[in-house]
Amino acid sequence: MGKKRTIGFSRFSEVQTAWLFMAPGLILLALFTFWPIIFSLPLAFTNYSVIGETSFVGLENFKRAFADVDFIASIKNSLFYMIVVPFIQIISIFMAILVNRNIAGIKFFRTAYYIPVVTSMVAVAIIWGWLMSSNGVLNYLLMATGLISEKVNWLSDKDTALWALMFITLWKGLGYYMMIYLAGLQAVPTDCIEAAKIDGASNFQVIRKITIPLLKPYIFFCTLISLMGAIRVFDEVFVLTSGGPGNATLTSSVYIYQQGFEKFEFGFSSALGLIVSCIIMVFSIFVFVFNKKGGVNPY
Amino acid sequence: MKNNNLLKKIIHKTIVYVLLSLFALLMMGPFLWLVSVSLMPGKNIFAFPPAILPTFIDFKNYIEVWEYMDFLKYIWNTVIITFLGVTLSILFSAITAYPLAVFKFKGRNFVFLLLVSTMIIPAAAGLVVNYLTINKLGLINTFTGVILPTLVSVFNVFLFRQAFMGIPVDIRDSGKMDGASEFRIWCQLMMPMIKPAIAVVALFEFMQNWNMFLWPIIVLDTEKYPLASALSFLNGQFSYNFGWIAAGTVISVLPIIIVFIFTQKYYMEGISGAVKG
Repeated sequence: MGKKRTIGFSRFSEVQTAWLFMAPGLILLALFTFWPIIFSLPLAFTNYSVIGETSFVGLENFKRAFADVDFIASIKNSLFYMIVVPFIQIISIFMAILVNRNIAGIKFFRTAYYIPVVTSMVAVAIIWGWLMSSNGVLNYLLMATGLISEKVNWLSDKDTALWALMFITLWKGLGYYMMIYLAGLQAVPTDCIEAAKIDGASNFQVIRKITIPLLKPYIFFCTLISLMGAIRVFDEVFVLTSGGPGNATLTSSVYIYQQGFEKFEFGFSSALGLIVSCIIMVFSIFVFVFNKKGGVNPY
Repeated sequence: MKNNNLLKKIIHKTIVYVLLSLFALLMMGPFLWLVSVSLMPGKNIFAFPPAILPTFIDFKNYIEVWEYMDFLKYIWNTVIITFLGVTLSILFSAITAYPLAVFKFKGRNFVFLLLVSTMIIPAAAGLVVNYLTINKLGLINTFTGVILPTLVSVFNVFLFRQAFMGIPVDIRDSGKMDGASEFRIWCQLMMPMIKPAIAVVALFEFMQNWNMFLWPIIVLDTEKYPLASALSFLNGQFSYNFGWIAAGTVISVLPIIIVFIFTQKYYMEGISGAVKG
């Protein structure tokens, strides 16, 4: 690969060919990934909206953002949403261990667990919206089994709404993470586990001392992905509650969207986007560094 | 002693199957219930106690929602968006990945840095600016405008790069010996060699494009909506008519579930390959 080849005719040198090949992809990336970041910087310092003249307003948008009760609430909710991350890891690792065996029908179960992942969030939100309504199936089942004594309006009660949304996120994502952990488990050498079992280790000890440590890179990967997903959560909130009741489930992505596309305050929305971007970047760098330092397990 | 072991094994197996079934019920139950609601026109799902299992089967909801919503149009829109999204995404990502895998050139590391940085930089603020860009390009209310912003994903580029790197160098050399241009080598020699990677990207992209709903709502007029957007529209308009929405939801999720069931082998391999890569 590294050797210089002079055989054959080509009108372009390797370097030129390389850039020619990459040009379409890089142009698209520049236009739709880097340009938004670059352009939202100046935009955030203007009052650009559909109405009125656009003018430079300095730090006005940022001052307004930090004085905005709804925005602060949305940041809090987005950070709170990250509670779902450890639950995702624990349950999906458990599921992966459960389906990591060669028994009859196991392919059916793996497929069944994955189906929520391939369906659209709109469909999932509609189904769970009904299941979780006050006269819904969930309340019926919980009351029939005696777990709750009176109907709970899961999605329109401000104390439960965010938790209900987090449950839906969890439910839809489990299959995806299970599959990644399953890939990790299948890479664990079986003789390693057998040797431990011969030495008298219990199943639980094997999981704790061998499986989990070997899964660490996968745990890191899944944590990062689910953390990014949680802090950016949009679809389920948008379809089910649009941030309500009040601002109980307002997440930052939803609020940015509302300011941009419902109130058409592009300048203010860009400022909010920049603030949230900074927070997300701090988190992702934190997770990267945390993992690098002596390979600390996030859990 | 032997009997004891056998008993233990049976108990262990029973526990495993009970747990597997419980999870299956949790994951599949909501879908099965949706199907049962869609097949019972006139039943109120908010009656308490709710109807969980179908007491009768009637396809009236499907017929009515099909007539009212013009589903064929929305399915057609979705098919076009998905087809364009999947094929163009494969082409653009693969051609971007190729030089990164086989050439050594100045600026290669810089391109790498750029690509990796997109994974850390969140796109939270991107929506507004992308809308303005699409507007400037005159692509509002076009399918091109829908697919363009997500066409090149860094994830796909890395996956393809990994695949290209696995091809022996001799193959490219033999193409050069025969005087083929680099472009011909790429599309006639290299692309057929990375079919498994193409299958994986195709499936991921299929899922993403088929289920896309927010960006199409922003960019498109109602009659150009894909299924997921149309469904969220239907849900807003007829929230009282559960049967219709249930039938519409079933119609919209069925194609992707069927595609998944038939392609899951590649899909699962793809996920494990993607994580390792």
